[in-house]
Amino acid sequence: MKQETIYLDYAATTPVDPRVAEKMACCLTCEGTFANPASAHAPGRKARGAVERARSQVAALVGAEPGEIVFTSGATESDNLAIKGAAHFYSDKGRHLITSRIEHKAVLDTCKQLERDGFEVTWLKPDADGLIQPSVVEQALRPDTVLVSIMHVNNEIGTVNDIAGIGRVTRERGVLLHVDAAQSAGKVPIDLKTLCVDLMSFSGHKLYGPKGIGALYVRREPRVQLDPLMHGGGHEHGMRSGTLATHQIVGMGEAFELARQELPQEAKKLNALREKLWRGLHAAVPQALLNGHPTQRVCGILNVAFPGIEGESLLFACGAIAVSSGSACTSADQQPSFVLRALGRDDQLAGSSIRFSIGRFTTDDEVEAAVRVVGQEYHRLLDLAPAG
Amino acid sequence: MFPGSEYNTEVWSHFRAPRNSGVFPADASGVVAGAAGARKHGRAVEFQLQVNAAGTVVDCRYRVFGCPATIALCSMASEALKGGPLCDAARYSVVQLADRLGLVAEKRAAAIVVEDAIRAAVRRYNNNSPPQLAVVKFTMES
Repeated sequence: MKQETIYLDYAATTPVDPRVAEKMACCLTCEGTFANPASAHAPGRKARGAVERARSQVAALVGAEPGEIVFTSGATESDNLAIKGAAHFYSDKGRHLITSRIEHKAVLDTCKQLERDGFEVTWLKPDADGLIQPSVVEQALRPDTVLVSIMHVNNEIGTVNDIAGIGRVTRERGVLLHVDAAQSAGKVPIDLKTLCVDLMSFSGHKLYGPKGIGALYVRREPRVQLDPLMHGGGHEHGMRSGTLATHQIVGMGEAFELARQELPQEAKKLNALREKLWRGLHAAVPQALLNGHPTQRVCGILNVAFPGIEGESLLFACGAIAVSSGSACTSADQQPSFVLRALGRDDQLAGSSIRFSIGRFTTDDEVEAAVRVVGQEYHRLLDLAPAG
Repeated sequence: MFPGSEYNTEVWSHFRAPRNSGVFPADASGVVAGAAGARKHGRAVEFQLQVNAAGTVVDCRYRVFGCPATIALCSMASEALKGGPLCDAARYSVVQLADRLGLVAEKRAAAIVVEDAIRAAVRRYNNNSPPQLAVVKFTMES
């Protein structure tokens, strides 16, 4: 990227791929596909065609049927729709939900709201590597459990949960499984034809698409039903009313299409860059600790604890690199990451942890420069600090 | 302001290049030291003052663990104290310095720790104690 700052925060958001932006630009002005996709006239039908093509592109990346994809405003809305929608629709069957303590806030806060609404939630603790094991889910299931919500890839530490194993457990017991796949789609192969997943959330902007668009996979066979969050024109099979944002949807579709075509070689490249980054950091700072499972992890995310120094200082000292302490969605509150605390890191280690996330436009030179800056600033701050 | 932060350029400059950091050699004369804060609370400071026979602070050193504001306040306080009488060091308000710099209220705790470390060193001198660390327990987290 032609910027002074080295952008290593792809897990927070990605730039829109120029090929995506080009497609989106065709849906905005008089000459383009700007009409309301719900309109019956020719421009409307043309817009609807663009939307349906995008729906197929999103479905193709994850092995779903196009009719199983519901467009939303983003993964946060998808999580809300999946969890609240299923909990309320199936509340006659039971009012117990299961999730983990290291989910994204969009899941945590949605479940907390359901607790206030009278549902009961079991909060699973991850193991020391940051994983939720299928056996732990199985032990928490109850006769009145209606939904389990477990993320595919953790947004802070990048560990990959065994959703195939978790799905087998929930399907056998007739319990719905929702998976937040905002960080995994396009980075980890997903085949919903073989996975026992009933609901899956996706984001456009984590995969070189635009912000403000996401999708929810809603399984049709066996059929899953949801109470909608929004009421209006009955769009998206009644599950998400509101005029479809053609340009956003087209952008997300193109982004998912590109990811499908480029996933194998891109994952290989990102794995190599991530390993180079970790080897470099560990050589520059031998005290550095890797947060999360050493191998069961997504290609683009590396979370490292830097003992002996204060986290905010390291983050600001490394101002030439755009990284996050914890996830961008939580770093605003200046508290040590709840994910790292759940893994057993103390406040100081959690506070001095940095998430590096690399992506499509990251170069070898950028990784090398990041290692240099972090190593140099770490030792500067360590030299400043009193003993102990 | 430094882009994307609550710190102004003055704070940023001292954080990037702290003045007078480190410790005096073990055999340096007229050195008294004070400490405050704790790593587990997010900030810890050890401050050394070198005082001559006339009661003037001729030089300062410090070690600091903490956020950019804590580091910058140590650096700026060390500059302010150098060359002044020790009685001024006893009254020097790092909290007022923090307010002047426009640091957010949450950073006031950083100023208190730096101030406590300086005052502990001054007390050490006034008590005519040997040049070891006087430790102030920092209990308030504002």
